[in-house]
Amino acid sequence: MTDNGPTNEDHGVAAFVQDNADYYETEFAKIQGKTGFTWSWNTMAAICGPLWGAARGAWGFFWTFLVLELFALVQIGRGLWGELGADQLARYERLLENIAKREAQAAELTAAGDAAGAEAKLKIANNLRGAADKALEAAEAAGSTAATILLTGVVLLLAIKLVEGLYANYAYEAQYLRWRSGQKAQAGLRRSGIWFGLIGILAIWPLTLIRFTVAKPEEFVASLTGGLLGEKLSITEFPVGKEYFTIFAKKGDAGFDWLANNFGDVFDGVTASIRWVLDGLEILLIQTPWPVVMFVTVVMALRLAGPRVAIFTAASMAYLAFMGLWELAMITVALIGAGAFLCVIIGIPLGIWFGKSKRAYAFAEPVLDFMQTMPAFVYLIPIIAFFGTGKPPGVLATLIFAMPPVIRLTALGMRGVPESTKEAAIAFGCSKRQLLFNVELPLALPSIMTGINQTILMALSMVVIASLIGAEGLGALILEALQYAAKGQGLLGGLAILFCAMVIDRIAQGAYRRNSGSGH
Amino acid sequence: MSDDVITLEGVWKIFGSNADAAMAAIRERGLSKADVLKEFSCVVGIADVSFSVKRGEIFCVMGLSGSGKSTMVRHLNRLIEPTAGKINVMGNDMLNLSDNDLRDMRANNIGMVFQHMALLPHRTVRDNVGFPLQVRGEPKSRRWEVSQKCLERVNLTGYEDRFPSELSGGMQQRVGLARALASDPDVLLMDEPFSALDPLIRRQLQDQFMALSAELNKTTVFITHDLDEAIRIGNRIAIMKDGRIVQIGTPEEIVTQPADDYVRDFVDGISKLKLVFAHSIMVPIGEYQPTRPVNFDDSPRAHHGTDLDQLIDIATSTENVIIITGDDGADIGVVDRATLLKGIQGGKA
Repeated sequence: MTDNGPTNEDHGVAAFVQDNADYYETEFAKIQGKTGFTWSWNTMAAICGPLWGAARGAWGFFWTFLVLELFALVQIGRGLWGELGADQLARYERLLENIAKREAQAAELTAAGDAAGAEAKLKIANNLRGAADKALEAAEAAGSTAATILLTGVVLLLAIKLVEGLYANYAYEAQYLRWRSGQKAQAGLRRSGIWFGLIGILAIWPLTLIRFTVAKPEEFVASLTGGLLGEKLSITEFPVGKEYFTIFAKKGDAGFDWLANNFGDVFDGVTASIRWVLDGLEILLIQTPWPVVMFVTVVMALRLAGPRVAIFTAASMAYLAFMGLWELAMITVALIGAGAFLCVIIGIPLGIWFGKSKRAYAFAEPVLDFMQTMPAFVYLIPIIAFFGTGKPPGVLATLIFAMPPVIRLTALGMRGVPESTKEAAIAFGCSKRQLLFNVELPLALPSIMTGINQTILMALSMVVIASLIGAEGLGALILEALQYAAKGQGLLGGLAILFCAMVIDRIAQGAYRRNSGSGH
Repeated sequence: MSDDVITLEGVWKIFGSNADAAMAAIRERGLSKADVLKEFSCVVGIADVSFSVKRGEIFCVMGLSGSGKSTMVRHLNRLIEPTAGKINVMGNDMLNLSDNDLRDMRANNIGMVFQHMALLPHRTVRDNVGFPLQVRGEPKSRRWEVSQKCLERVNLTGYEDRFPSELSGGMQQRVGLARALASDPDVLLMDEPFSALDPLIRRQLQDQFMALSAELNKTTVFITHDLDEAIRIGNRIAIMKDGRIVQIGTPEEIVTQPADDYVRDFVDGISKLKLVFAHSIMVPIGEYQPTRPVNFDDSPRAHHGTDLDQLIDIATSTENVIIITGDDGADIGVVDRATLLKGIQGGKA
């Protein structure tokens, strides 16, 4: 057919398929000779289905058709021996039981002379009887569809076989090309593949078929084992209760208690240092008269980020002031300010370290992932155990969540410094310290600034969660609104947090842009 | 040999975690590069490199990519540590320097220019040039004064307050050169400084560099992958292949007596007119057998250092043969048409 490519080297295909070479050579040539679809029928694949794929090492084929054939087989099974109305029948029986119970109660009540009560019970029983009739009807209707389902299943299976036969050579040719280019692809037939395919089919098909076709699969499986393993074998639920979980949870409790008892001083020290930062910021933001804070903030916005941000800042602060949220907002800003400050103080040195040492970063990476993805509530629990409630633990929770970005982006920035630039600096006699401060940090600065910005915003998103463990501020306002379904309060509080975030973000970004933009 | 500023003796560099074992095996069994890769999965960067560079000399190292020339030059200021061998720069055994002494050497004695400029993007041109002095701890006023002078040298006055990104590639490389000159080093290492530039700018910079180098009399190791460049610039040329030096010689020696086929391949495309001189093609005056009567007195005379290009000019203005004179003015040889044409063709009569 096509003789313009290396794909038609005879020994190529023969070496790949190993047996039945002539057949596959013709078929592959047919496929390669046409751009669109071409009829290429593989009887073996159609008959054996997934097992053909397993033998030939076409595992995509194996898994796809394993599932498809199973689906068709389930339909056939349901049509042949499935008790189709079983659910509804069971419901009918339950309802009958219920009715009998109500009637019995009614009889008791009549005997006790409570006619009204008895009538109520009988009414319920009547209603139930209606439902029971419907269930029975549905069960019978379901039973009569058995033939249709069986037919559907058979047609489906035949269709799948047809697709298998037509698709097999295409899949196999693609595998052949992979094999040629040295990628991992099996050549020829392999006995181990057949065995694995058989085991796979045996592990998947029987239990699944039983589950979806037999009315009471658990008893059925138990009867298959001859009742050796008990009356019922749980096949949809793993047969373990909470016994292991309880043991480990208790161990965890004990561990935390031990830590809290033995390292109390350490935890107190951490709390004290966080409180120290927090107090400083609160004096600055809350105890300073509000006109001063507002004036300084607006001027700062104007100088650092330009008139538009300054107007936005003034408007946001007016909103906070007129809604009576000024003090709460300042508490919140102090809280996240302390969080962000600590994040930066701790995060940048860590980031520098991780940027320089690949090994350290490899260790840190999963921890950082953990810090970012672990739901906040999970680490709120040990934080309360170790640090109690209030603002410092709130800041600590913020730290855990908000520190990864600044670490990651600092490390990224450090690694992004071109080797050639570092080499040049070393060639001019830079010491490690000079290299860090004159070359690496300045070049990593854009990335570090992005990290700080991210950290501030993530800290803001933690205020509501931090309020759960007693950190006051706008978060607490929203938490309260949540508890009492106070929609208006929630909305106003949410807007206040949004404005705080936007003001901080715009000022920080504006400041950074001015810095990096100067001179260019 | 106090005249030698740089000396390398049997320097080896083997990359890989098993470098020392590989080195020992090479010493004992003489493994080839491919064997080392197969047996120790180590790559031989440079192999047994020895040469010396005299004061004020421009020593070009020419080789294709992967020949180890950039690796080699980084050994001279120990940006790369050799696996074996001796490196001596300005009388200092580079391998036994303490970290502090090494930094001092780099900051004071060895300047380097890089292929990709490697300027600091956040600093102005002035501060980039002053960087080596800042590393040395010089005050700002001194730094600015020196960088001003260096920028003048490379004709970049007026650009002091620009940032590197505002400059063209050629200008950036001149900043790189000014930076290397700022610490007034004795040794200049140039790692393919002009390779990334377009041909016209490259030629300009080559001329500028040669003028500067003649003026400042720095000892220079100049790396290039361009034989034309090496011949234009170098007093001597080393040709590297697979980490080894295949031949060291003056441009004329390289062109006229290539050591092997590899060098010959390179040299083939090179115009010999400015590289081959009268003394290497002339027929000694005693051996000359004229094909027709010649009047030596009317013949033009040329110094034995005249190159072929000039000889052609002389030959076109006379019917006579050309008499070649020695340094003392005495007639020592003869070049006639046939000899000249042969010389142009093959470089050698």
